[in-house]
Amino acid sequence: MSQAIIEFKEVTKKYGEETVLKNINFSIEKGLFYTLLGPSGCGKSTILNIIAGFTDTTQGEVKLNQKSAENLPPNKRKINTVFQDYALFPHMNVFENVAFGLKIKKMDKNKVKEKVKEALRMVQLENYETREIVEMSGGQRQRVAIARALINEPDVLLLDEPLSALDLKLRTDMQYELRELQQRLGITFIYVTHDQEEALAMSDEIFVMKAGEIVQSGTPVDIYDEPINRYVADFIGESNILKGQMVEDYRVAFGGNVFECVDGGMKPEEVVDVAIRPEDLVLVPENKGCINVKIDTQLFRGVHYEIIAYDAEGNEWMVHSTHKAEVGKQVALQFESYDMHIMRIGETEKEFDERIEAYTEEGNR
Amino acid sequence: MKKKSLKLSNLYLLLVFFLLYAPILYLIFYSFNEGGTMNEFTGFTWEHYGAVFEDTRLIRIALDTLRIALLSSLFATTIGTLGAIGIYFVRKYKAQQALLSMNNILLVSPDVIIGASFLILFTVVGFRLGFLSVLLSHIAFSIPIVVLMVLPKLQEMNDAMITAARDLGANSWQVLTKIILPSITPGILAGFFMAFTYSLDDFAVTFFVTGNGFSTLSVEIYSRARQGVSLEINALSTLLFLVALFLVIGYYFIQRNQQSKKLLTKNQARVVSTR
Repeated sequence: MSQAIIEFKEVTKKYGEETVLKNINFSIEKGLFYTLLGPSGCGKSTILNIIAGFTDTTQGEVKLNQKSAENLPPNKRKINTVFQDYALFPHMNVFENVAFGLKIKKMDKNKVKEKVKEALRMVQLENYETREIVEMSGGQRQRVAIARALINEPDVLLLDEPLSALDLKLRTDMQYELRELQQRLGITFIYVTHDQEEALAMSDEIFVMKAGEIVQSGTPVDIYDEPINRYVADFIGESNILKGQMVEDYRVAFGGNVFECVDGGMKPEEVVDVAIRPEDLVLVPENKGCINVKIDTQLFRGVHYEIIAYDAEGNEWMVHSTHKAEVGKQVALQFESYDMHIMRIGETEKEFDERIEAYTEEGNR
Repeated sequence: MKKKSLKLSNLYLLLVFFLLYAPILYLIFYSFNEGGTMNEFTGFTWEHYGAVFEDTRLIRIALDTLRIALLSSLFATTIGTLGAIGIYFVRKYKAQQALLSMNNILLVSPDVIIGASFLILFTVVGFRLGFLSVLLSHIAFSIPIVVLMVLPKLQEMNDAMITAARDLGANSWQVLTKIILPSITPGILAGFFMAFTYSLDDFAVTFFVTGNGFSTLSVEIYSRARQGVSLEINALSTLLFLVALFLVIGYYFIQRNQQSKKLLTKNQARVVSTR
């Protein structure tokens, strides 16, 4: 395991009476793509500001390269930021913007020229040196901002919702480019976003945040497939979440039936949330599936149809299907035991991990 | 119907401007009068202008006035700009508002009071009245003007730029000289121009704090006009009017330059967004 280059230990941040961050713990390794994901106001930008050195902590310890970062000003940290509104300097042209960090260091002029050229090539803006910022489109400004941040050769690049001002097509393109850039340079990226698709597409590891706390962390696949609670399941992708009750390990009751499932380690009779992804549901003729439902509405989403159906108990089911359904028709939903994901109510990430470890051991025995 | 009302309003505008400019035009007209008085135009002459340029005392005073204006506006611009930056970065909103109000009070309080209080201050401290006392008081009353011109430019500035500059390794001095000052240059220039014109035509404050042997044009014209009407004053006033006119035209061009730049920016933004 490589060494952590950023470490947060029990970090708390308060603005007056308001607690913005509650007891945050995580460590960041070199060369990976991290994403802080959460709705606006959950404290993700505050974490970024603390890492960059623009904000101090109220409690707890922040370590950079195993050394305490306390009293280390932003200009002494090998960390650079790409800002949400790019924060380019309008009174300078592209070259001067990108060269700013090097000029501050009083680097030799020819060397600066060379490096700027290289940085602009990296973001595919060759020969744009003499352009004014006002002459650039949103996507191009974004690239200038990235080049400007990368020219200082930081250990860590912080990106604060950098794609939020771009249109959808450009945003998708930039996702590929950012991921590619990160892998080519081997620099640690810490990316802040409220867009779960961005997070899933680019990250090595995601921290899902809610109201100043990290709710769950893990790889995109882990978080998508094994959300620890209703909040994460709902925030990452679409989910059908129903109240259910454990009968015993690997058997859960909901929607008027008992199903085989792959989760255990709960108390018998415990009330749980059952989550099933809409793309895991298959429509089959009535009485041939797991639950009978009546199709209520259908929307064409391009990639798939989004179908809303109701079962006999009145639960709403969302189904993603590439096949068209007939509104008003009685059908059945088919799903497999591993499509169901069972979540204990109020379980923390630590308890979740311990339980998973315990029952998989049990299962292996 | 619409045309008629338009004509009426134009007529009204012409009348107002005529009334405003009539005294000045009257004064300028008689500066070319051959006869010594303003009662009757007897013939055209440059003789009063010649007299102005031969009057070494007057020329010395004119140069002094310019010196005061230039120096005081330079000092006031420096101090006022730093002051505006200081006020802008005061974190507590209430404290910031209090500071700004104190600045504005100086701006609206009557010149007579400011002049009188300076006179009292200088005499109490035992400061000799003369060039320095005038310079100091001009600097003092120009600072609030500069602050008021610079502050909006600071508020227009994107604060994230400062964060970005620090992020890229700039220290406070570099942030000031490379980011903040270039962003607010238009405001600083406007403040300088305003301070310059205020200093140039100030009478009330200067009148209080000039001592023997030092005078500015406005005070000199006032005292000469009291002694009796000489057309030399007309000639001098005409020249001053022309200087003021040039200043206004210069300021207009600076502003137009900036506006066209802004317009350019907007147009380009539109081009970009329609792309």
